[in-house]
Amino acid sequence: MSFLVRSRRGALVVFGLAAVTPLVVRDAYFLDSLVLILLWGALSAAWNVAGGYAGQVSIGHASFFGIGAYAAALMVTRFGRGPWLGMLVGVVLSIGAGFIIGFLSNRLKGPYFALSTIAFSQVLLIGVSRWRGFTAGGEGIPVPFRPGFATLGLGHVGWVYMALAAALLCYRVEVYLERSRIGYQLAGVREDEDAAEALGIPARRLKVFAVTLSAALTSVCGSLWAQYVGFVDPTYVFSVDLSVRFALNAIIGGMGTALGPYLGSILITLLETYLRATFSGVKTGFAGIYLIIYGTALILVVRFVPEGLAGIAARLRARRAHA
Amino acid sequence: MSEATPILVLDRVTKHFGGLTAVADVSFTVPAGELLGIIGPNGAGKTTLFNVISGYYRPDAGRVILAGHDVTGQPPHAICRLGLTRTFQLVKPFGNLSVSDNVMIGALTRLPSIRAARVEAERVVETCGLTPHAEARARTLPIGLRKRLEVARALATRPRLLLLDEVMAGLNPTELAAMIELIRRLHADGLTLIVIEHIMAAMMRLALRIVVLHHGETIAEGPPAAIAQDRRVVDAYLGEEFVLAQA
Amino acid sequence: MDPARLLGPAQIDVLAQLAVATILLGGIYALIAVGLTLIFGIMRVVNFAHGEFLMLGMYLAFWTFALYSVDPYVVVFVSIPVFFVVGLLSYVLVMRGVIHASHNVQIFTTVGLSVVLQNVALVAWSGDFRFVRPWHLSTVLRAGSTTFNLTQVVAFLIAVALTISLVAFMKWTHAGRVMRATAQDRDAATLMGIDTDRVYRLTFAIGIAAVGAAGVLVAPLYSVYPTAGLQFVLLSYVVVVLGGLGDMLGAMLGSLIVAAVEVAGSYLFGTAWKEIFYFILFILVLVFRPAGLFGQRGAETLGV
Repeated sequence: MSFLVRSRRGALVVFGLAAVTPLVVRDAYFLDSLVLILLWGALSAAWNVAGGYAGQVSIGHASFFGIGAYAAALMVTRFGRGPWLGMLVGVVLSIGAGFIIGFLSNRLKGPYFALSTIAFSQVLLIGVSRWRGFTAGGEGIPVPFRPGFATLGLGHVGWVYMALAAALLCYRVEVYLERSRIGYQLAGVREDEDAAEALGIPARRLKVFAVTLSAALTSVCGSLWAQYVGFVDPTYVFSVDLSVRFALNAIIGGMGTALGPYLGSILITLLETYLRATFSGVKTGFAGIYLIIYGTALILVVRFVPEGLAGIAARLRARRAHA
Repeated sequence: MSEATPILVLDRVTKHFGGLTAVADVSFTVPAGELLGIIGPNGAGKTTLFNVISGYYRPDAGRVILAGHDVTGQPPHAICRLGLTRTFQLVKPFGNLSVSDNVMIGALTRLPSIRAARVEAERVVETCGLTPHAEARARTLPIGLRKRLEVARALATRPRLLLLDEVMAGLNPTELAAMIELIRRLHADGLTLIVIEHIMAAMMRLALRIVVLHHGETIAEGPPAAIAQDRRVVDAYLGEEFVLAQA
Repeated sequence: MDPARLLGPAQIDVLAQLAVATILLGGIYALIAVGLTLIFGIMRVVNFAHGEFLMLGMYLAFWTFALYSVDPYVVVFVSIPVFFVVGLLSYVLVMRGVIHASHNVQIFTTVGLSVVLQNVALVAWSGDFRFVRPWHLSTVLRAGSTTFNLTQVVAFLIAVALTISLVAFMKWTHAGRVMRATAQDRDAATLMGIDTDRVYRLTFAIGIAAVGAAGVLVAPLYSVYPTAGLQFVLLSYVVVVLGGLGDMLGAMLGSLIVAAVEVAGSYLFGTAWKEIFYFILFILVLVFRPAGLFGQRGAETLGV
């Protein structure tokens, strides 16, 4: 697994730069982009735990994201408690949801599993939208900003480090899966479940473990995001587009590698920032245009560059080594 | 477990698929240290029997007793942890992983640390003659090496009983000789084996005892020499030429 | 609820009304499902973008109606060749490359296609909800105590006609037989000299033509917006799995069942929760009855 050495160096660069930037750059817009890059990276890394490492490709991870976002938002607005408690509640709920999805992953294969994860996220979307009394329905919940760490009311610099912490957490989990006993067994399950079982690996249990771990991490990021952006509404936080986005970063960067999701996030988030700046004059078109680009990128990458950016880097390195 | 406890006891194992009875009332005992061969025409139920023994299918009747434990209906991974490992007729390598990673995943079943598992994997890879290919991706291996990898990976789990399902099919004469020698050596070192094979020459050389399956039933059981003469076996499977060739 | 009131005349009327609604709706779902079960049964690919082609059909109906005042039930006959070509193009550009690829590639490719199509619609036509309101939408017909509008009836009749033509095509034409053979055993078909690429091309084109036409038919009955396809895609997969992959008759029966669930669900719980039913039904069917109602080859056994 020589990926590790390489990604360690790359990781040092990526996360090191992220840590140092706020000391040097003060531009709020720039820092905002950095926060988003880190959060999206973390979310894709969380997705990668289930999709890349366990081989359970879900297009419904927005379920866990939304649960985390709503848990944090509701805990603050409805119960008057802090978002950290909300995050905890969100994690617990997401683990529960993760068990359901994990159960589905043991009953359904590949595309059917993916379809069922979409269905699950839509059930949550509609349920939350209709449950006006509790969740304010489709109008969404504005999350108030109260300065302080306990209320996650941080400044731009504070948010960079918060997002970095989340990104490092997810990265660390990925690395753990690459070099731990469970990680190797999970790789076996991913490659061939029957063969793994024959070797004494409890495949079903491991899949559920990976999915719930992935769910918990996604939920944490969802809670952070709710506090950062300040607004949660069901049609966004449970949307299929969001689920696709998590997968997209990981695929472009390299599914099943630890740094891949972050590389993908850098590329996609920067692209999005660029497009937003370029098309800010156009009224409605913007959101659609970058999604068209993402969709096309997904089709092309998955077909022609399946190993993603990390894979290309590996190939280049190998070629140089042999030269 | 006393010396006398057999490694495996099959007690009237039966398996239906809808209207088809794939395994019908099969019983036999495998004492520790034996090399049992299972032969029979295609469709006789040999692989189905393996699937039942190793937990992939639940039998409709009968029991599977592994080293004194009733493992009937238990999942495959639990049965492996109790000491039984099987290989697959259509090999199932972990294609994107290296040969040594493949074997290491097997070793991790008994060994808790990656380091120990690596050492064990190296040893098993060496035993199976795969060392020159240790870093190759399993997907790139030709069938002969894949079969050997299949055996190596199973070996790494340190089984008490190893089930080999047609590991010799598709091998060229050199590979075949090497595989026969490997199995012979494993057996000589004390491993108990059940081997499904069509290559009778190999079976005659290796097996201490042979069970013959036909339409899901055992039609004969005994030492290779007796099986080769058995009328029912000759009619169902071996054919006259085989008998003549033995003479 | 008072049991004595269960089968009074009012209740029978309600049942009759629900039954009629079910049949009318089922006919349309059958048209979507029959095309999908063909694609799925023959090509073995789960096409996540299937609903988007339906959405495009809906928009076709909307624009021809809004710009040229052409009735959808005239447009539907134009839509068939149009979407046939769209299907051909999609196959050549996107699907052909993924037929023999891994599940993941198939999933992400068709998901990508779905995202692209949805957002092309969004960018081109905005996310506003559109409506197609031809004159026959407000023409109410009565049979006994049940009421329905002319639109539903005509949509049903056209859908049934198209479905029957498709079944006939599969059963009695040479091409249809070739397609069915390929569905049974891909490799054997190739060995028999069948050009599977042409079969897939034709299959996909037919399947898309069917779903595009269904979109036109359905446009007056639902709102038209870029993500309108999502609810239909899950629904159609429920139907296809229920009926057995590749089984057209099963698809038709499955459509009736799903329509019944939707109609009953709307009646009992209100239309707001209707959408949740598709999704819950979807999960339930996949988990408990993946082999379909008739124990046919289904989600688990088809190597999907």
